[in-house]
Amino acid sequence: MNTSGVLLRTTAVAVGLLFLSPLLYGIWISLQTANGFFSGNGEMTLQNYVDAVEKMNFLRYLFNSLIVSGGVTILSLATSIMAAYAFSRFEFRGRDLIFGLVVATLMIPGHITLIPNYLNFAKVGLLDTYAGLILPAVANGFATFFLRQYFRGIPRSLDEAAWMDGANAWKVLYRVIIPMSKPAIYAMGLFIFLGEWNSYVWPLIATDSPDMLTLQIGLARLYKMDAQEGLVNWPLVMAAATLTMLPVLLGFALVERHLVRGISMGAIK
Amino acid sequence: MIARLTPYAMVLPIVVFILAFTYWPILVSFDLSFRHWDFMSSEKPFVGLLNYSELVRSVEFWNSVTITLIFTAISVPLRLALAIAIARYLTTESKTVRALRGAFFLPAVTSSVAIAVIWSWIFSTDAGVANALLNNLGIAKVPWLQTPSLALWVIIIVNTWKQLGYDIVIYVAGLQAIPEDLYEAAKMDGGKRWHTFRRVTFPLVMPTTYFLLIVSVIESFQIFTIVDVMTQGGPAMSTDMMVNMLYRTGFTLFDVGKGSALAVLLFVFLVVLTVLKSRILGKRVHYEH
Repeated sequence: MNTSGVLLRTTAVAVGLLFLSPLLYGIWISLQTANGFFSGNGEMTLQNYVDAVEKMNFLRYLFNSLIVSGGVTILSLATSIMAAYAFSRFEFRGRDLIFGLVVATLMIPGHITLIPNYLNFAKVGLLDTYAGLILPAVANGFATFFLRQYFRGIPRSLDEAAWMDGANAWKVLYRVIIPMSKPAIYAMGLFIFLGEWNSYVWPLIATDSPDMLTLQIGLARLYKMDAQEGLVNWPLVMAAATLTMLPVLLGFALVERHLVRGISMGAIK
Repeated sequence: MIARLTPYAMVLPIVVFILAFTYWPILVSFDLSFRHWDFMSSEKPFVGLLNYSELVRSVEFWNSVTITLIFTAISVPLRLALAIAIARYLTTESKTVRALRGAFFLPAVTSSVAIAVIWSWIFSTDAGVANALLNNLGIAKVPWLQTPSLALWVIIIVNTWKQLGYDIVIYVAGLQAIPEDLYEAAKMDGGKRWHTFRRVTFPLVMPTTYFLLIVSVIESFQIFTIVDVMTQGGPAMSTDMMVNMLYRTGFTLFDVGKGSALAVLLFVFLVVLTVLKSRILGKRVHYEH
């Protein structure tokens, strides 16, 4: 490698680390003892993670977040794949109107639905349940739009071959379209999962009992309670924050390219 | 016959979801905004425009509108200027550049709550690194998040840091779409770097700028999480955004009517912006390739 290449790489690493230093600093604090943090003697420990999980109920929150994000991902993919297939392959009355209604949800600001959804879920007793957390997040206009675009790119000759063999629409979807679209579906699934993992407003409103909180709400509560008392146990809070960021930090390298491509596509189209 | 119904069966689930959890609630919000209700009583009397008129006569409402406007007016241009300045250096497709783009993008997909907590530490009066750095310069501790004139700036910094990577990624895509020969032509004309940027890059990347401008304005008007975790609208309401007021009105004070009226006002405003966006993007964005 030549000198300018090394220079470029060094600068890039320095800029990247500097930009991400708040995150790295936070993780570093999570590995210190309270004593080490406040006195600055640098004493390290994993105890904060143990405390967060055992005393602060974070294992339960982690479990809740997994259930909710997993549930939303599966249901979103299922509904979007079916709809995207119908939109991309069939002519039917009202198709464009229905497609428009689905995609328009992308542009509807979420706050308008908060109070009515809260009321409706309270009425049917679904507050503080997994169903209550999952259901309002299922319909995904972006996934439907994105997958329709992708399905359109699959040559129709493949469908037709399957039709010739006597397959029906569901079989074509299951045997041809889905297998051909695996990378797009995986990427979209991760995208949905991470988005739901970070979701805040609705879980804040729809949950109350300590056993139903998601990680985001658990972390916000832990920090707010400490902050109100004016004494924050920063190492413990940072351990909780690190747990909350974990799937994104782990999954990021895997999905970054897909995320970026998907986002740029949405913008340039 | 059954085959003809198949596409309807396939779109039915998502249609049920959007009707039940998006479109129906919008209608309910409009209806509730004309009523008086506290979540509890069995009656929801119709009160006409009372909620709206109380809202526009309250100091609290105009405070949150003003704060949201200031926040938007500062953070949107700041984000776009930083993003285009950085994106210019990140348009090549080498491993190094891609990794750096990834680093910038990471906060955009990271939990807002975790980010708000980490930055609360950075700006905390006694334990934070911001004051530690100032201390090295001999400056006394600043209570960032407890000072009305400073807290909004902290929110702007944190939000900019979080969203910047998204703007950069979009700008990079926009810059990469500019045909190389246009740069060549500018170079042949003896264009200086700044000149090339102003006369070639900036006008050609205008569609992207329009897009980001409107998207980030829409997004800024909906800021909630960072504020809710870091300041809850305080101190002295100095960071009280519209959605924070909406949350408080609806879910802390249980004033369903006024909360819904606020939601409707914000909704109408954002929908107008969105329509404007598709208009602008429809008309002005295309240049021939």
